Amino acid sequence: MNSVVRAGHLAPYFKSSTQVVANSLKPLVVVPTPSEKTVVLPLPKTSTVEILHGSLPIQGLKVKAGTRVPAQVRFAHTDISYPDFSAYRRKETQDPTSKANETIDERQSFTYLIAGAGSVAGAYAAKSVVTHFVSSMSAAADVLALAKIEIKLAEIPEGKSVTFKWRGKPLFIRHRTADEISTEKAVPVDTLRDPQHDDQRTQNPKWLVVIGVCTHLGCVPVANAGEFGGYYCPCHGSHYDASGRIRKGPAPLNLEVPPHTFMDEGLLVVG
Amino acid sequence: MSVWSTLNRTVFKRTSTFALAVAGGTFFFERTFELVSQSIFENLNKGKLWKDIKHKYEN
Repeated sequence: MNSVVRAGHLAPYFKSSTQVVANSLKPLVVVPTPSEKTVVLPLPKTSTVEILHGSLPIQGLKVKAGTRVPAQVRFAHTDISYPDFSAYRRKETQDPTSKANETIDERQSFTYLIAGAGSVAGAYAAKSVVTHFVSSMSAAADVLALAKIEIKLAEIPEGKSVTFKWRGKPLFIRHRTADEISTEKAVPVDTLRDPQHDDQRTQNPKWLVVIGVCTHLGCVPVANAGEFGGYYCPCHGSHYDASGRIRKGPAPLNLEVPPHTFMDEGLLVVG
Repeated sequence: MSVWSTLNRTVFKRTSTFALAVAGGTFFFERTFELVSQSIFENLNKGKLWKDIKHKYEN
């Protein structure tokens, strides 16, 4: 007679043995099982984990070997055939008995390096796309071209102030005479409403570059007029000197000096 | 081999260090890539770029 003991829920409380040996430990229940021929149930043809698990009596079964007679429940896993995975294995793990821990660093870091390189490429692509679309909202080339003005300085005679239209406002370029330069430099800065020395307002003392908008209420001053040899605003009577600084009248600040650079070939670039 | 595998373990293990390495790598990659691709472009188009014919138009 063949029997397979399945303990089920009461497994923690059963002790099964072929012989009962008295010792100090008192088991709750002692079920003596006669030693019989061992039974090996044939395994099902498919060898997936789920089917194996269902066919084997392993749920809650605890088997302890007796003292003199060995009693075992053997699961016949040594004759299960499995496919040969060597086509999928890396070089380090071709041998199925090789330890995974020894080569885990190499294999992992290789994979992560590939992933990292891909992330770098992806980040570069993402940055390019984003900057491309965001920079499309910045100023167009024709707007930027109009933003600067180039002036040939040779065409402006000495003592004259020439007006150009730049960014919608009048731009005064004044070719100053030596007298004007020395006068302006000699003015004490403390007496000015908006104290600025002439050096702070000009890069090249021969050329004064200012925006012709009165700082009072925005009228355009007249050149070579007024009591200080500079500009005079006819709207409310502001007098500016040959450095564009306010001397008399209601205006609070000096005429604005835009950023400008003197190029090599006698060109002035404003803006 | 074991040198770079143990070294990379310090970088690749944590996501934060990994991301930092990716960000730094992108910075250098971008600069190098743009330099290389620009030089290749200018090489392939030699004689046709403005800087090559600028000397003819300098007044």
